[in-house]
Amino acid sequence: MDESSYWNLPSSHLLGSVPAVVNEESEASYGRRGGGGRGYQTLGPPTEGFEQQSQNNWKGVFSISSYTQYFDVDTDVVVNRLISSFYPAGGDFFNKIGANPDLYGLIWITTTLVFMLAAFGNCATYLIQKRTDRTTTWSFDVGYVNAAACGIYGYSLVVPVAFYFLLRYLGSNASLIRFWCMWGYSLSIFIPTAFLLLIPVEILRWIIILVAGTASSCFVTLNLTSYIGGSNDLRMMMIAAFLLQMALAIFIKVWFFP
Amino acid sequence: MSNSHSDTIPLHPSSQSDIDEIENLINASVQSGPATVLPARPPSPPRASIPVSSSPFIQSKIPPPPPQSSSSSNHKVPSVPAAPPPPPPVGNSSSIVATGFGPPPNTLTEPVWDTVKRDLSRIVSNLKLVVFPNPYREDPGKALRDWDLWGPFFFIVFLGLTLSWSASVKKSEVFAVAFALLAAGAIILTLNVLLLGGHIIFFQSLSLLGYCLFPLDIGALICLLKDNVIIKMIVVSVTLAWSSWAAYPFMSSAVNPRRKALALYPVFLMYVSVGFLIIAIN
Repeated sequence: MDESSYWNLPSSHLLGSVPAVVNEESEASYGRRGGGGRGYQTLGPPTEGFEQQSQNNWKGVFSISSYTQYFDVDTDVVVNRLISSFYPAGGDFFNKIGANPDLYGLIWITTTLVFMLAAFGNCATYLIQKRTDRTTTWSFDVGYVNAAACGIYGYSLVVPVAFYFLLRYLGSNASLIRFWCMWGYSLSIFIPTAFLLLIPVEILRWIIILVAGTASSCFVTLNLTSYIGGSNDLRMMMIAAFLLQMALAIFIKVWFFP
Repeated sequence: MSNSHSDTIPLHPSSQSDIDEIENLINASVQSGPATVLPARPPSPPRASIPVSSSPFIQSKIPPPPPQSSSSSNHKVPSVPAAPPPPPPVGNSSSIVATGFGPPPNTLTEPVWDTVKRDLSRIVSNLKLVVFPNPYREDPGKALRDWDLWGPFFFIVFLGLTLSWSASVKKSEVFAVAFALLAAGAIILTLNVLLLGGHIIFFQSLSLLGYCLFPLDIGALICLLKDNVIIKMIVVSVTLAWSSWAAYPFMSSAVNPRRKALALYPVFLMYVSVGFLIIAIN
């Protein structure tokens, strides 16, 4: 009895209980955490506590540890999601996210896009002006940074919130974090687009931005459709999402690459 | 309080308690430690160093038996004149070795130049630790053990002013953008590492990211003086590489190796955007 007091395992309560063989396949989901006591019947309650903990470790708005659950990704996972956002075809982004949506993509893709728009927007404006008027000198308009920050951050934060509330009101389930994640990754296609828009040929620019806008909008719409279930009532939602993304693309072209 | 002076006065072994002996051993090892850690602020709260100021604890916990109380009161008298001890390493003005023992030197009445000199020397020593090659770079516990925020503040403001000076229009907006980018950027980068599950001390990281701006400051100054685009690009690339090299070991060792790139990319992004601002502002 004395030795058991040195072992701070929860199995001390098992003394005297009859070990029962539990079907291991049903416990597979707990396999990650149920290291000790496997095969004993009392495997249930401790792992339930673990699961509850992993979904509900909210320690308050001002504690960093309650937000780490949204950043629980590795480099290869992020790269994988990034590459899948370039192909608008499959509508399986939400499956890919699974139980692990991340806000890392949203934050850093939008920040990178803000920087790219400000930098390349200035370069492109200079190049286009140089073509028409040989005497223009380089000038850096800091207003581009402000406009880019307001536009991109505003869009990527507000639009998912709006869709979340609308869909909740209309009855279907929606998860804000997943929406933010998906919209964030949908903006990633605009980063190489901003680089390509440096080419100072007007027609080419319009073609590039329309292609990128369409790809991004299709990505958003298809994923939204597959997530919600695609009933007829929500057709307006899908069209609205498509149009909003196209509007963002046009705004990028008109404001930063005139 | 007499026990707190026990490090400066060799006590008779028989009159020491065990805890005093341990205290002395600790002090001896700290005083003979590496001289790279400058004695900066004397009563610095124990950050990365050995827990200090256990003397009040000793005082209350161990009621000194009568023969000891007389010897401890005897210790009071000779210890007071020895209050500012001459420490073996660099002793700047009235600073005591940063162990926290002893009464704090009276920084309110010292000359202003002494205070400024002390802060400046700390900034310089931190700069040498972070930006220039030294053997302790790989260990985030040792590098910048004595962080401060004056250095980063000076560097950020200097960079903002330099950029604002070089700009021909919208000068105040340029300063605002540069300052906001760097200050908010440092905070967000630190939060990013914390959110990814890394282990760093918040202010130590802020301090380090501020010090790593020093090469970009030099680059901005050179670009202010020389207005040629090619030279600017070369100078900015070199200083950018230097800044990234300075920040790399600290950031990469703070997180899980599988998330290293996730933690380093934003640092790179911030320095590239600042570098672009330096080149682009005309």
